[in-house]
Amino acid sequence: MDDSDEALMARLARGDEAAFRELSRRHVPAMVALARRITGNAADAEDVAQDAMLRVWTNAARWRPLASFRTWLTRIVVNLCLDRKRRAAWVELEAAGDIVDPSPDAEKRIEGGEVERQLAAAIDRLPSRQRAAIVLTYHEGMSNAHVAEILDTSVSAVETLLVRARQSLRAALRGVRE
Amino acid sequence: MTEDQFYRYLDVHGADLARWPGEARAAAERLIAGDDSAREAFNAARRIDGLIVRHLAASAGDTTAADRVLVKLAQPLPAQKGRLLSRLPGLLLDLQFAPAWPRVAALACCAALGFAIGISGVDRRIDGSDAVTRPSVADLTTAVFEPEPLTGARP
Repeated sequence: MDDSDEALMARLARGDEAAFRELSRRHVPAMVALARRITGNAADAEDVAQDAMLRVWTNAARWRPLASFRTWLTRIVVNLCLDRKRRAAWVELEAAGDIVDPSPDAEKRIEGGEVERQLAAAIDRLPSRQRAAIVLTYHEGMSNAHVAEILDTSVSAVETLLVRARQSLRAALRGVRE
Repeated sequence: MTEDQFYRYLDVHGADLARWPGEARAAAERLIAGDDSAREAFNAARRIDGLIVRHLAASAGDTTAADRVLVKLAQPLPAQKGRLLSRLPGLLLDLQFAPAWPRVAALACCAALGFAIGISGVDRRIDGSDAVTRPSVADLTTAVFEPEPLTGARP
């Protein structure tokens, strides 16, 4: 019996609750972790993962196997995280000015807890879409094209998000040195 | 590849050369090998990338969070949207038509036989009488010009 995600989704569209439980068991841990990294908040992450799975259940009939189920679910989770950030009146910190030169000697001091704390704080301060792009790129290991598909945007827009995010993080670490 | 191009690629794709376009990767490797400032910038970017990966790996949260979500999802589920409409294609897809060609051939034979019988007149009575009753002209006149029995209205 085919127990792929796509086969389970076909059963789920016919109201099969057992298929829904199996899909949840497979994907909820990763989705909670993904939401946790994007929202930076454990409670929000749990709400987002639960909401995402319930949307999968209620909208199962709308799913078409054009992309993988995992991609579809990731897109739902990321969109819910971004919506939650917007509703929470998230104050976005615009990226620092253009930094063309990566300042070679600035990162020699990237050692010790202080630098890591500064980096964590800088990631937390990133605008939500930049942060989502960073998480999907660095932790999920997605290509820029795949990130663009998840964020429903173009590859060049994703590259812009990543450039600004990297420049912000580098600027934050340079501030530590200074 | 110029240094500006190199730094641009470094910003766009990060320090993982596997993510760089093929031709840019080869040029970057040559630049890194021959240019001290490019090499230091690349190493610095690689260290930042490593810090980001380490930070994200450490920020997954506690493992019981997923269990809590699964417990909540075990509650009775809401109604699905478009359930009846969505079920019909699925039910049709579940029907086992294979192998289809014997059934299609049988259906085609039945259709051809019916067509042949219809045009050859084999199904008609052979006593010569026409079973079809034709209305007379008087009947038609009555039907058209007689007043409406219930209301008395004339056409």
